[in-house]
Amino acid sequence: MVLEATMICIDNSEWMRNGDYSPSRFQAQADAVSLICGAKTQSNPENTVGILTMAGKGVRVLATPTSDLGKILSCMHGLEMGGEMNLAAGIQIAQLALKHRQNKNQQQRIIVFAGSPIKHEKKALEMIGKKLKKNSVALDIVDFGEEEDGKPEKLEALLASVNNNDTSHIVHVPPGQNALSDVLISTPVFTGDGEGGSGFAAAAAAAAAGGVSDFDFGVDPNIDPELALALRVSMEEERARQEAAAKRAAEEAGRQEKGEEAQPQSDSQNATSTTTEKVSDPMDEDDALLKQALALSMNIPGSDSSAGDAQMSEATNDDQELAMALQMSMQEGSKDSSAPSDVSKVLGDQSFMSSILSSLPGVDPNDPNVKDLLASLPGQSEPQQKKDEDEQPSKDDK
Amino acid sequence: MACTHDHSCEDHDCSSNWSLYKHIDLSKVTALNEANPGSVKSVFKAWEERLNSSGEHLESNEGDPELLVYIPFTSDVKIKSISVVGGADGTSPSKLRVFINRDGIDFSDAQSMQPVQEWDLVENLQGVLEYQTRYSKFQSVANITLHFPESFGGDTTQIHYIGFKGEATQLKRDVATIVYEITPNPSDHKTRAETGGGLSHVE
Repeated sequence: MVLEATMICIDNSEWMRNGDYSPSRFQAQADAVSLICGAKTQSNPENTVGILTMAGKGVRVLATPTSDLGKILSCMHGLEMGGEMNLAAGIQIAQLALKHRQNKNQQQRIIVFAGSPIKHEKKALEMIGKKLKKNSVALDIVDFGEEEDGKPEKLEALLASVNNNDTSHIVHVPPGQNALSDVLISTPVFTGDGEGGSGFAAAAAAAAAGGVSDFDFGVDPNIDPELALALRVSMEEERARQEAAAKRAAEEAGRQEKGEEAQPQSDSQNATSTTTEKVSDPMDEDDALLKQALALSMNIPGSDSSAGDAQMSEATNDDQELAMALQMSMQEGSKDSSAPSDVSKVLGDQSFMSSILSSLPGVDPNDPNVKDLLASLPGQSEPQQKKDEDEQPSKDDK
Repeated sequence: MACTHDHSCEDHDCSSNWSLYKHIDLSKVTALNEANPGSVKSVFKAWEERLNSSGEHLESNEGDPELLVYIPFTSDVKIKSISVVGGADGTSPSKLRVFINRDGIDFSDAQSMQPVQEWDLVENLQGVLEYQTRYSKFQSVANITLHFPESFGGDTTQIHYIGFKGEATQLKRDVATIVYEITPNPSDHKTRAETGGGLSHVE
């Protein structure tokens, strides 16, 4: 919660067009800048942040230190890249901007993004550093982008001359998979010497890292209990819905007996099951439930149909082959891997298909649509349409 | 360790004259170009301890003898004179320039602005010398900034003690909270006379 006025020096030189940080160096830098602004203003509401660009026609101050986050973010729009970065002038003008801050109680800090080669000598940089130290200005350096001989040494020398009691830091970010902002979140640039911004940093890290979070759904129940609860409830509803859909899909797979259909269905089952797995407990319970449901319906092959299981029992009454196919598809549904070669052999028979279709309520084999579908047996769109037709009667019944 | 002027100190207490250090707002004292952040607070102590160099002292950064010390007071004070005890081997400051009631002065400001008063100092290792002020200019000092631009040839400047002689008024420069009443009722505001003390005026 240090009261601080910060000036961020952005490198908008030609070297920033490079794409070795995705999407481009400049965009990665802009994201990091907006995250830093947010972190600073969140850690203490009286903190102020200002922005200036170092390249282009000359050093240009885009925003003097202000606590208005919207103004800072809006001045980042429409920035053009070009020219060479002038590090010395940038730092000196940043120091001047900080000197004229409105609240003299704020500590002064400059954050520099050094992405292009540095044309100044080490001596000149050290002089600048000493002047900063004398006026008790802290300096954070982000070394990214262009890797040039001697650049890290120059920046380290600058840091050594500024550093007073570890208030100044340097971060070297090599190009790679991680975004610039993700790397910076864990550094003292964000966490501010170990105090303050850690709460923001943790939340930002959770959001940025996506699936890799300690909490379910990426939301800390401590920070936002209602959101966490809502997410949990909706996830369970989704899971229940998918279980029902999976059950219905297994019924359809058995009834329609199409190998290709079963595969995409089981694939979709796998997909749904893996997504729910990621977020919650393992699917073993659900698989067991599914097995139970299918086994229950399977318990009445060849006997009188009971009122409970409508389509399943009707279909199995009619056809022993169907029962066998059901069993196979049930096995498929419970296992994650699918190899329905046996099933496809059994089910590839067109005559068998038409007999099955005729037994289905609501499907007229003489319907031209159905005839077209039968003709295009191995088509992908077919299972979808059949599924829809099946779901409609099943919905009517239910 | 008594003061070394030519009278015996049993008559009066020298240290009471130099008691303005009690009115310094130590938490807000800052210094620029100090080698150890926060060491500036150690130079404000009682008169008797001015030569006690066992604790911390204020030292400037290596190779740069310039120092800037900002001292706010808890209430307005009148300063009669200032005493500075420096370090040995040329590390004593040789000049002193002061600015009154100005916030946030840094080195470039200090070098360009005209000070309220400046002195050429001598090496004052025993702490017996005091530098008198033009009293009329130091009548209501809320904060004072001392600028030591150079030393006696040493690489750094060391300061072991800074003392102020004068008196403190009760006036403050803080924000005041004032309550306005449209129909004030004197009986609501007990005067000090009724409660047994002080002058009787309605507060």
